[in-house]
Amino acid sequence: MVKFLSEEWLEQCKRYMHEKLDPEKDLKNVTTSLLGVVEHIPPENSTMNFYLNIDNGKLTDFTVSSGDSYEKEAEFVIMGSYGTFRGILKGETNMTIALLKNRLKLQGNKIKALRLMKPLDGVIASLREVTDEFEE
Amino acid sequence: MLVGNSKFEEAITIAKKGSHCGMCRFDFLDTGLCPSGTKYGYLAYWPQGRMQIFKNVMSGKVKPTEKLIEITDSCSLCGICDKQCNFATQLRPEKVAKALKEYVESLNDSDFQNIPEDENLKGLRDIVGPQWATNDPIIVSSYISSIISPDAGLNFYIVMPKDTEELSKVIKYANIHNLPFLPRSGGTLLSMAAPTVLSKAFGLEQGIVIDLLRMKKLEIDTETLTATVGAGITAFDLQKEAHKHKLRANVAEAGAHICGNIASTGILSTWGNKYGWAADNFIDLESVDDEGNISRHSDLEIKNPYSTEYGFTNISLTPPLIVTQATVRLNPVFDDEEAVFVPFENIKDALHLSFTVAKRGIGFSNVILSRKYLAEFISPTPKIAEDFEFILEKYMKLNYVVDIICNKDEKKIIENMVEYTIDKSTLTALILGCPKLATLKNSEFMKILSEEKDPLKALFAGPMKKHFEQALDATPENISKIYDKDLQEFFKKVYSKPKMTDIVWLHEHRIFPSRLMRQRMFLPMGGVIWTAYENNLLEWINMFETVGEKHQLIHALGFISPFDQGRFAVLEYDFYYDHNDANAKKCVDKAILESQENSLMIDGILSALNFYFKGLYRKEHILFPIAKAISKEDQELFRELLNNIIGDE
Ligand SMILES: Cc1cc2nc3c(=O)[nH]c(=O)nc-3n(C[C@H](O)[C@H](O)[C@H](O)COP(=O)(O)OP(=O)(O)OC[C@H]3O[C@@H](n4cnc5c(N)ncnc54)[C@H](O)[C@@H]3O)c2cc1C
Repeated sequence: MVKFLSEEWLEQCKRYMHEKLDPEKDLKNVTTSLLGVVEHIPPENSTMNFYLNIDNGKLTDFTVSSGDSYEKEAEFVIMGSYGTFRGILKGETNMTIALLKNRLKLQGNKIKALRLMKPLDGVIASLREVTDEFEE
Repeated sequence: MLVGNSKFEEAITIAKKGSHCGMCRFDFLDTGLCPSGTKYGYLAYWPQGRMQIFKNVMSGKVKPTEKLIEITDSCSLCGICDKQCNFATQLRPEKVAKALKEYVESLNDSDFQNIPEDENLKGLRDIVGPQWATNDPIIVSSYISSIISPDAGLNFYIVMPKDTEELSKVIKYANIHNLPFLPRSGGTLLSMAAPTVLSKAFGLEQGIVIDLLRMKKLEIDTETLTATVGAGITAFDLQKEAHKHKLRANVAEAGAHICGNIASTGILSTWGNKYGWAADNFIDLESVDDEGNISRHSDLEIKNPYSTEYGFTNISLTPPLIVTQATVRLNPVFDDEEAVFVPFENIKDALHLSFTVAKRGIGFSNVILSRKYLAEFISPTPKIAEDFEFILEKYMKLNYVVDIICNKDEKKIIENMVEYTIDKSTLTALILGCPKLATLKNSEFMKILSEEKDPLKALFAGPMKKHFEQALDATPENISKIYDKDLQEFFKKVYSKPKMTDIVWLHEHRIFPSRLMRQRMFLPMGGVIWTAYENNLLEWINMFETVGEKHQLIHALGFISPFDQGRFAVLEYDFYYDHNDANAKKCVDKAILESQENSLMIDGILSALNFYFKGLYRKEHILFPIAKAISKEDQELFRELLNNIIGDE
């Protein structure tokens, strides 16, 4: 059982992405960074974030911390409630629809973000694959 | 018991044809309002909700609960709904209410399910009171086909806060418990989206439906020419009240709630050229954000609430804020206002007149109506509308009408610009005489007319005018004959009221547009275009035509209306379809996506999906810089985005 945003989750995600994602084939050699801000985490209604850095298709940084900001600046910030992230990771919520519905708020160049969506599909799929426990 | 029961079969047919136009929720025919809906509030207690519930129980989508007894008992079969619904859709909802009563009487105790109060419901009831929050599946199911997509389950709470503070608490509760939420007002936009692919983004998949109907504040300030309206006030409610003071608001269709309309489409109306669009409509707003924070637009410390991101990727299909109260502008009504109707065969001629008049700042309301809209609005039944449209096209060669409300002096200016107009007596004759006109479909009169060099001139300004008006037999009594026998006396009285043939009143109160969705659905596409690009406008219309043809839909231009002193125009092009036909729905989905994509490929257009939910902003921030056609590369990207939405079909 790997719980979303836990230490173990972080480690497993890193391992999974290193093992399964090919920098060229899957991640199209992209270079970007993303800060995911997860709000309203039960039971304390707290906020956490995860920061991902991908350099030339290789995951170079993946960190989880508390609060809504991280020491390093990300190219994109994507914010949403715990429930929204849970829905996405469980495969119940389509990410594009979550964006259209304002459930996920994106800061950063939107066209660039759209271009990255395909290469980053693999990352989302990896997180989905690894995560199997949530706060309810 | 139910199978083969013809009364039930008929009720099911009626219920299925219902399209949630919402005309049963405000008093537009002076009948009074559905007493049950007025008392209990939830959609389930209104005729519209009863039809949905009947459909749901009959299809097995939901099992009866004790609440169903209250819902049926609260209906006294007073018949108000039949009158209202008949005017808009020709349906008889009371037959459904009766069938639902009979159905409930036939049930045994074991047929009822009992859904207990859960923790969340308890929390929500602590905020709004026990009566105003529910998870009852029957009540929940009445919201299907508007805010709840037909494919979603029944895992919802319905909450009806009485004011902004309660709403704020509901949202805070929702966030802590990770429950998605969405407000519902008149439900007209939501109902249009519901049968289509758009419902995935417009609708709610689970969580809390916030029904805003209880926020009924309505105050007119005749000194400042403003009105303060709560989120439960419809366009018709406001207009009716404003009219008592010889004032008018800028409103959309009668059933739209003012606050919801501001937040969603910004109140686009034919009066926009004079009264504006989006943030032009209001002085101040009170709203609640998605964290439950209450603010007013006039607060000094908030970040600029009037600006929005630019570009085609800025699509958001839910409101940025929930508007709980708006202070809107009212405008004086002048004694000498009149309508000028100028008929045209060609769109180019119609555009020229409408835009020239707009740029010169003449007139209050200015719109080019297609023959489809003219026929649908005026005709009391779908069949009459069909025949009427046929006559307009085939014999009269009337494809467009430039329809301007202006004062007396302005009227003279317009009359000097054109060869002829349709005058007041002919318009009255057309409204009351349209059933007779429909019968002239294959008449000698029409054949002779069509052989004229300029049939429009012959009909509206030539020797045939008098004969035409006489031939229409236009009286309240005659038009009332198209209604069911028991409703004829009522409709005779309705059509005897001067306002029913007063074009200015009809434009203000907007009681006709819901006829577009009678017994079937329509899906409006289009958007806003920079009027200097006339060729692009024509290309845009052709594009919609091609898409409509390709997907075998009934399709037509709706209207084109200039605003911002004729700099921009809003265009609506509609796809019509049977919302009970799965195949037709698929065709509409394809037409939506294809025409949306193609709209982005033309210079000067802000497409419909790009202007939805921008109504809180300044139009200048939404419309400038003028949109440019997107690149091939971005088109690919956009297509992928859209495929991503429908991909899980
Ligand atoms: C026949 C017909 C004619 C129409 N004509 C016009 C027209 O002329 N001009 C025009 O502008 N539109 C028109 N529309 C489109 C649309 O119905 C309206 O724009 C209007 O916004 C719908 O109001 P509603 O109260 O029915 O909203 P709903 O359908 O209840 O809600 C629409 C959206 O707004 C959200 N919402 C509801 N209330 C609030 C609120 N208080 N604060 C924030 N968000 C809210 C809902 O969550 C939903 O996303 C027409 C629709 C129909 C069916």
